[in-house]
Amino acid sequence: MKKIVTLLLSAGLVATATQAFSSPQEDLQKFRTYFEQKFPGMKLDDFGNGSYALDESKRIQWESMEEFPPYDEFVDKGREIWEKPFKNGKSFASCFGSDPSKVRVKYPHWDSKTQQVVTLEGDINKCLKENGEKPFGWKKGPIAWLSAFFGYEARGQKINVKIPNDPKALEAYEHGRHFFYAKRGQLNMACADCHVKYPGHFIRGNLLSTALGQTTHFPVYRAKWAKKSKDGDGMGTLHRRYGGCNKQVRARPFKAQSKVYRDLEFFHQYMSNGLTINAPGYRE
Amino acid sequence: MTRLNHRFSGLAGSLVLAAGLVITAQAAAAEDAVAAGKKLAFDRKKGNCLACHHIEGGSLMGNIAPPLVAMKSRFPDKAKLRTQIFDPTKANPRSIMPPFGKHRILSDKEIDLVTEFIYSL
Amino acid sequence: MKKLIMTLGLALLIAGCNATTPSKPMSLKEQYEAKLAATQAAVEKAASVEGEWRDIRWKKSKKKYLPSAIKAAEAGDYEKALKLLDIAEFQAKMGYQQAMAEKNAGPHLYGM
Ligand code: HEC
Ligand code: HEC
Repeated sequence: MKKIVTLLLSAGLVATATQAFSSPQEDLQKFRTYFEQKFPGMKLDDFGNGSYALDESKRIQWESMEEFPPYDEFVDKGREIWEKPFKNGKSFASCFGSDPSKVRVKYPHWDSKTQQVVTLEGDINKCLKENGEKPFGWKKGPIAWLSAFFGYEARGQKINVKIPNDPKALEAYEHGRHFFYAKRGQLNMACADCHVKYPGHFIRGNLLSTALGQTTHFPVYRAKWAKKSKDGDGMGTLHRRYGGCNKQVRARPFKAQSKVYRDLEFFHQYMSNGLTINAPGYRE
Repeated sequence: MTRLNHRFSGLAGSLVLAAGLVITAQAAAAEDAVAAGKKLAFDRKKGNCLACHHIEGGSLMGNIAPPLVAMKSRFPDKAKLRTQIFDPTKANPRSIMPPFGKHRILSDKEIDLVTEFIYSL
Repeated sequence: MKKLIMTLGLALLIAGCNATTPSKPMSLKEQYEAKLAATQAAVEKAASVEGEWRDIRWKKSKKKYLPSAIKAAEAGDYEKALKLLDIAEFQAKMGYQQAMAEKNAGPHLYGM
């Protein structure tokens, strides 16, 4: 019953949104032009460096961090997970193919059979379950390590999310787009308020990054997350970050890998199509 | 308020004794309101105005929004200033500034105090 | 959803009963029960449009107005419970209103 109501509701949302429908291709082009005009002369791939691309002194600090990157040990842990056979003798290669550098670029994608957005993290846990293994937690730890390993192996390739011309896929894309632009929470702010309108500005001591390029380096190692964890593991997935950005505007965060966040990721990663993957990244 | 008044009368008493000055109760109460409003405006869990605005005396300030200076000339009408703080979406529907009153981030009383402080800038 | 309809129904029932017997004012406990049902319905409604705010009932919120109200009522403090429900209900209604106002949001590319 609840499902039907939400379905009806979201159908309503979509129906009204379609009046102003622009195709994903048009959206992408305008989105990119917007940022190129806002930051004239900046190289496209530099947008993937977040706020470090926007401030010279921050960039210098960050570059020295990248000389001995704290995420290296977690990429190695991810590699171990990749190589370790399951109890049934198979391994992750049975789900993802034998070449780990070919994995990251396939995600997120639309699955026409299940009619939903499939993410890399979603498929990692699916693979574990199908092989009788216990799934990982969604936001940090082993799932982020393995995802970081796939990202590392894919460095240099370009984000290439495809939105098929299937009404359901377009609906998921629009849902994500709407989520990104709608104000929410007691503080009444949209993702776009901070990451489209005000990138390059400081909010308190934080320099806001551009939404363009925001997904190229995920999962990410964050100094703040490392400080919070007992063992200095600062790795976290994209959906972990979504939750953080939702709760700081006093909106209730959604669960990692919920439909809402998967649809958001579909839109959000698509907007960075053509940018070079540089995962994992280091952030404050 | 009664507590403030009490505190004030004690303070005023000693001031009168010490310097022979007579300050009207109103002026001192307004000063108290400005100080209380400043505290709320600077408090991260309350107004957190510094996240976006530059205000004299603040630290670690953002630069999203115009600096709050010379407010009496920007807003000769104090009520208009209060409305801007209560619900900035009235002036700009897509404002990033939180609707402090409309969403009850601050109470009516707190909005009054913050307004007094901002008006004093 | 079933729950929602039931709680809605309950709220109406309670409101209705009260209207027909004005001579007997609602006890604090009755007021609480009616308000709880109304608040829960409002929260579900906000959640159904992805408009729920952080501090209503999310488990990691430090405030959790709705569960805190239920706790206060369980401890017999209905006045406190009613105050907390006031906040929770207000936030739920505003969250819903906000989501409706933002129904057609985006894409906003400022100045373009
Ligand atoms: C109140 C402003 C604000 C809002 C609203 C906001 N964010 Fe953020 N976000 C930040 C800040 C501050 C950071 C850290 C600095 C940076 O990288 O931009 C950040 C960082 C991020 C990052 C990591 C960037 C990187 O380079 O690693 C992502 C991804 C992100 N936000 C996505 C979102 C999404 C999606 C939304 C909407 C659900 C959102 N944000 C809403 C303030 C905000
Ligand atoms: C998230 C950022 C943000 C926060 C927090 C914020 N503001 Fe603003 N404020 C803005 C922006 C941006 C403007 C410019 C107008 C607009 O875009 O709506 C503004 C405009 C104003 C103005 C009008 C200025 C003028 O000269 O026209 C006043 C007054 C003001 N804010 C007061 C406050 C007070 C008081 C607080 C704290 C209680 C506060 N603001 C918190 C972003 C913010």
